[in-house]
Amino acid sequence: MSIIEDGKLMFHVLLHPFDGFYQVINHEKKRYILPTLILILVGIVGVLSYQYTGFILNTFPIHYINSITIFITTLFPIVLFLISNWSITTLFDGNGSIGDIFIVMCYALVPKLLFDISGILLSNVVTMEEAPLLNAFTMIGTVWFCFLLFCGLCVVHEYTALTNVLTLIATFIAAVIIIFLAMLYFTLMGKVIGFVYSVFSEITKRW
Amino acid sequence: MKKKRVLLFVLILCMLLPSTPVFAEHTQETNYIYDYWGDTPRSLPAFEWMDTIDQGQLGQIKMGSIDDVFVSKDERIFLVDTLESRVNVLDANLQLLQSIKLIRDENNKIIVDAANKQLMLDKPEGVFYHEYSDELYIADTGAERIVVLDGLTYQFKRIIERPENMVGATLFKPSKIVVDKDGKISVIVQGSYEGIIEIHNNGTFSRYFGLNKPRVNVIDHFWKTIATSEQKEKMEKVFAPAFNNLSIDSEGMIYATTFDSSAQDKVFRFNSKGENVLMENGYFWVIGDVNYLSADDRSQFVDIAVSDYGVYALLDKNKGRVFLYNFQGDLLNIFGSIGYSKGDVREPTSITWFGDKLIVTDKQFAIAHVYQPTEFGEAALYAEKQYYYGQWEEAAESYAKTIELNSNYDIAYTGVGRNYLMQDEYEEAMYYSKLGNARSYFSKAFAGYRNIFIQNNFIWLVIPFLLFAGYLIYSEYRYNRKNG
Repeated sequence: MSIIEDGKLMFHVLLHPFDGFYQVINHEKKRYILPTLILILVGIVGVLSYQYTGFILNTFPIHYINSITIFITTLFPIVLFLISNWSITTLFDGNGSIGDIFIVMCYALVPKLLFDISGILLSNVVTMEEAPLLNAFTMIGTVWFCFLLFCGLCVVHEYTALTNVLTLIATFIAAVIIIFLAMLYFTLMGKVIGFVYSVFSEITKRW
Repeated sequence: MKKKRVLLFVLILCMLLPSTPVFAEHTQETNYIYDYWGDTPRSLPAFEWMDTIDQGQLGQIKMGSIDDVFVSKDERIFLVDTLESRVNVLDANLQLLQSIKLIRDENNKIIVDAANKQLMLDKPEGVFYHEYSDELYIADTGAERIVVLDGLTYQFKRIIERPENMVGATLFKPSKIVVDKDGKISVIVQGSYEGIIEIHNNGTFSRYFGLNKPRVNVIDHFWKTIATSEQKEKMEKVFAPAFNNLSIDSEGMIYATTFDSSAQDKVFRFNSKGENVLMENGYFWVIGDVNYLSADDRSQFVDIAVSDYGVYALLDKNKGRVFLYNFQGDLLNIFGSIGYSKGDVREPTSITWFGDKLIVTDKQFAIAHVYQPTEFGEAALYAEKQYYYGQWEEAAESYAKTIELNSNYDIAYTGVGRNYLMQDEYEEAMYYSKLGNARSYFSKAFAGYRNIFIQNNFIWLVIPFLLFAGYLIYSEYRYNRKNG
């Protein structure tokens, strides 16, 4: 019943981030089941918000929905942040492992998840005039998420607030570089594959 | 008996013949419309080719080109032929009434000036018929003057030359003109960056008007902010883009178009201060084609035709398409193309309303096509007319008919939904405005629907609240009892 324990701890984290994250990180054995579930849920909520956000607030072409793409694009920035933050903090004397950062991120996502779900539900009963209020409401979840993430990273890396801000800026730059390298890699690979394919087709046509 | 056998044989023979399938998708119509997301579903054309004005109607008189067209209220068609320096007048049956080149006075004598030269049109580019005074205004571009003729006899009335008190750098080469109710003349000079020239009826200069904002280039703007004033002097100046055509509606509002690529807007409706007050509440701005590959690929409007009920047609010289918009800026229809088939144009120059029909002129072929509304177009235009004049019931009926004919006509759903909203039938209004992607109407309908829902189910909303409040009070009571 470790999940229930984890769940209790998770809700403790929401209101007492420093104490809570400290407990989470220094658990005798780190458990990744609940964080992974939360992450998958975040992706699913991304799909749900595309499909089920009320008509007034939903300008997406619902007839074009591609749930796998939305799932991936929702999780992509999270995973990107995870990798770039880990790669920066290992250089900046951060104490957290990639697993720690993963757990912190996923627990921090919980308020955003809850507010987003309630935002989807409420968006079906608001009019256009009330929409800004709803946006402000869901914004609470996002602000809460940022706060928790900041605290959590402070705890796992044992940083002061200022160093944490600096590493976050460095994380952003690292994320841009990762995207750049990824694009470079994929275009190059595309060219290589194209070359191999054209050589192959040339050979098969000759013989 | 023998007859029956023959019939049977014929029947079997007929059944053996291969059937020829007829599918709508195999027809040549390629008309489309833009929906809320900028996709291009198929649509019906609102207008179809009906007749063509060409050399055949003119007989002996040669037609070199057609550069402008105007139709008066009594349905006389005025065609401007710049190449031959003529204005040809046709009646409603497309028969030639008169061809004007030499100007004659009241006694039907050719007017001769001091140098013993005949007064003759010189490469005119525009024409306007003033209904209130029955005068025909011809923009005689080559001779830098406006020639005013009697509208019925086509005899000379007066000439408006460059006003003496005119300021600015613009050359007085009138290209297109309109005259408002009070006789104030608005003149377009091609390439003028100062705006539309406004002249009083007595020929004195009034002002330049019309604000045509250039697009701001962020990089240029940045360099300009850090440049010294000497550097700035050497920099290329940004001029206001020029207008290229104009039109006037029944309220006396002036519409203008520009196809200068540096302009922010493409279509203008001016208030008296010269500000653009065109309503653009459609799915997109009034820019013609929404999807384009490059700046050269964008729609370039050469002319605008405004109807009495606010529907205006824009003529795109790039693709030869006609875009119909209503007074709110909703795109109604797109039709026409550049090509060689019947009804196509090569180099479109101008467009005008001819009753309910449209005339589109072509410079290169020196022809003018008359388009008549299709069944769908008739219903769509009728709906817009009724909506403009506030007859919402009739408008909704007509919108419903257009949906039957063309289910991709999204703004009709909005029209039907709007009418249901006015009748407080919220559920239907929500259904239709959702189909028309009209979120503001949907929101209003939903607010009404929600109110009724709350009124009907008030008790079920109140009970949980009361239960919760009761529980709170009870727990407080218990807590206080326990702790004394």
